[in-house]
Amino acid sequence: MIEKLAEIVGEEWVISSDEAKLYSYPAFIPLKIEPPLVVLPGSEEEVISLVNFLNENNIKYLVRGSGTSLSGATTPTQGEVIISLTRLNRIYSLDNFEITVGPGLANFLINKTLSNPNLFYAPDPSSYVVSSIGGNISHDSGGMHTPKYGTTFDSVIKLRVLLSDGKVEEIGGNNFFDPTSIFVGAEGTLGVILRATLRLFPKPEVSKTLLAAFNSIDNAGKAVVSVYKSGVTPAAMEFLDKNSIIAIENTQYKANYPMAEAILLIELDGYSANVEEEEARVVKVVRENNGEVFIPKDDEEKNRWWWGRKGAFPSFAYYSPAYLTLDANVPRSTLPTMLRFTYEISKKYGLPVANSFHAGDGTLHPLIGFDPKNVDETINAIKAAEEITKLAIKLGGVPSGEHGIGIEKIKFMKLYYSEDDLTLMRRLKTVFDSKRLLNPCKLVPPAKNEICNTVNRVHTYLLEGDI
Amino acid sequence: MISSLKLTEMCTHCGFCLETCPTYVVTRNEVHSPRGRIEAVRLGINSVGFETCMYCRLCETACPAGVKYGQIITPVRKSSTKKTLMEKMLENPKLLSKSLKLLDKVSSYPEVERFMKFIKPNEISEPLETNDEGDIILFPGCIESVIFRRTVEKAYKFLSKNYKIKIINGCCGLAHISNGNHEGARKLAMKLAEKVKGKKVITLQSNCAAFMKEYKEWFGIEINSNDFAEFLIKEGIELPKVSDTFTIHYPCHAYRQKLTTHIRNAVEKMGVKISEMEDPHFECGAGGDYWISHPKLSDMVINVKKEKIAKSKAKKVIVTNSVCALAIRSMGYDVYHIADLLDT
Repeated sequence: MIEKLAEIVGEEWVISSDEAKLYSYPAFIPLKIEPPLVVLPGSEEEVISLVNFLNENNIKYLVRGSGTSLSGATTPTQGEVIISLTRLNRIYSLDNFEITVGPGLANFLINKTLSNPNLFYAPDPSSYVVSSIGGNISHDSGGMHTPKYGTTFDSVIKLRVLLSDGKVEEIGGNNFFDPTSIFVGAEGTLGVILRATLRLFPKPEVSKTLLAAFNSIDNAGKAVVSVYKSGVTPAAMEFLDKNSIIAIENTQYKANYPMAEAILLIELDGYSANVEEEEARVVKVVRENNGEVFIPKDDEEKNRWWWGRKGAFPSFAYYSPAYLTLDANVPRSTLPTMLRFTYEISKKYGLPVANSFHAGDGTLHPLIGFDPKNVDETINAIKAAEEITKLAIKLGGVPSGEHGIGIEKIKFMKLYYSEDDLTLMRRLKTVFDSKRLLNPCKLVPPAKNEICNTVNRVHTYLLEGDI
Repeated sequence: MISSLKLTEMCTHCGFCLETCPTYVVTRNEVHSPRGRIEAVRLGINSVGFETCMYCRLCETACPAGVKYGQIITPVRKSSTKKTLMEKMLENPKLLSKSLKLLDKVSSYPEVERFMKFIKPNEISEPLETNDEGDIILFPGCIESVIFRRTVEKAYKFLSKNYKIKIINGCCGLAHISNGNHEGARKLAMKLAEKVKGKKVITLQSNCAAFMKEYKEWFGIEINSNDFAEFLIKEGIELPKVSDTFTIHYPCHAYRQKLTTHIRNAVEKMGVKISEMEDPHFECGAGGDYWISHPKLSDMVINVKKEKIAKSKAKKVIVTNSVCALAIRSMGYDVYHIADLLDT
């Protein structure tokens, strides 16, 4: 097989030695499984030849971008050959409000290379300095600016996808039965994204930052809901709890936030008259909920506040060497209940927890600390995550707001969707990948007659849990 | 010092380092990335990635967890006879000068052929030496002293107006540490500390100053090192005005040590019109002796850098590190050290 793959992509782009182990996992740490082979095709034609070869020979495979998945969507759990699309990173064209790029391009490079400074690509997951567009599309990645600009889904116009039968389809851009929607968030289980045409937004005239500090999470939670009730849709509304503030203030991300039980970082943008009116309404709402409003005195302070927020995850190193990042999306009114529950769970399992998340669209990010070298503690962290996600679903939430299902949240699918829903998803999968070769055992729980191998206790627990 | 393996525990595998790494940027391959190399150390794999690292350590500037990549990678890099020979020559610029002059007579080696693409035999000089004792040490740096002697002369002349300057020629040990020769670098650092006797050291290769600032962390040795621009700015020295347009390259180690602020301040103080290149800190492609040991990868990085410089539309580049200057010169640009602009 190695010879054949080398024939397609060139010998230097096949990794078959010990070094294939470097592709054992993305940014989801609890499970590492060595792939048999890694190939790095350099063109769309090479990807097509690879997929044809793998399909003809019934070899399982998965597609990987920059390897930043937090849900383990690119962990080769079933012995898949890994196709890395990082070399397909070209920008093909820029036409008014649309840009066409290869799947391996890192998100931030779009805005960096845009020759028109009045446009921007909106989705900005925290990993945007490295995560690839293909991965962003496959996970329907969000970010801080989803309240106003939507998730990646809202920025995808057209896709060029390679299907398992070797056919290349151009999809999207029409109003009826637009099939791009099933590829966005499919986590690489239906086909291979070869090219994407993305939507660009005009840059807002003004952008303004406010910080609101609260002495209780309840007041902060009420303020989040009230901001929307006052008629304001913020560009971003980020929530930091006390544990997050403490961690940030003790690392290189130190932002000099006011010490509080919770703070909201709010960004308003648009035309100046609008932003002024929105600011007045937000200030009023914050004060009505016993919060204190802070305005950055200059750009330096503003940037430091946002830089602190960006550092909330890495700052968690202050508590623990590794962490699980949950991303259930819940109704905004349930935020205080959810946060309180994360603190109870923290006590129950004796694991550190901090919350820094996108309050604007209700996407939670409880971070649960654990020591990855300790198997029991790792499983405890997974159990803690499970309890939190279960409550989120019970309160009307969804298991994943932006990181995807992967292997991390697959067990919750049965809880959230009906058996009919899941059957439909399996049938969809079968239509596109009848041999179940493309990233199997991810996203949709297997049917009774489908076999998914597990490699260790952590893997077994991840897939089954206590549902 | 803490072991390599222990230090890898700080890496959370987030990948934020990837796009800062020159070899990842040109290969898109995890094997040639900081995250991959750290993982290989963690797993105890003997990866080819250890040797393809250009040792710019720009990944450290992007790491949200503060992983000490340099300390992880250094112990797993393997030395070779060729590398040891190179280190010996760099330690003794006079010998280096003599050997380089002989090179065109032995051009059958691929390394020599490669060398000649970047350096012309007629520009090799003996290093500038003075018998003067001084209050301040000028440390030109290995390559600077034999290939850019005129720059050294200008810097010496300029500084001598206000200070008693003593010149010390030699190597700071950055070449050694990047080759994995920790002991060789430590010995050099100790010798240098003895020679300078606590006096202030001014370097003409910004990366030397940057590495000397790390002596404490690596070897527990302290040297009061200043990059040339840093000295000019901190001493508040009056600088001549230059009415011309340049773009600036930031040498990698100097960038990591935040010395580039001084470089920029000095250039601005001279009234130079700066036309920005893209990512001025992006690796130039030289990587110490990497341009000789890994010509293919080095050329790929040089091509990326060339495109980034081209975005400035400038023809003249301010480069305060000699190997970077050689790489950037090979792209067809005119290169200038700040010291070169002092008599205009």
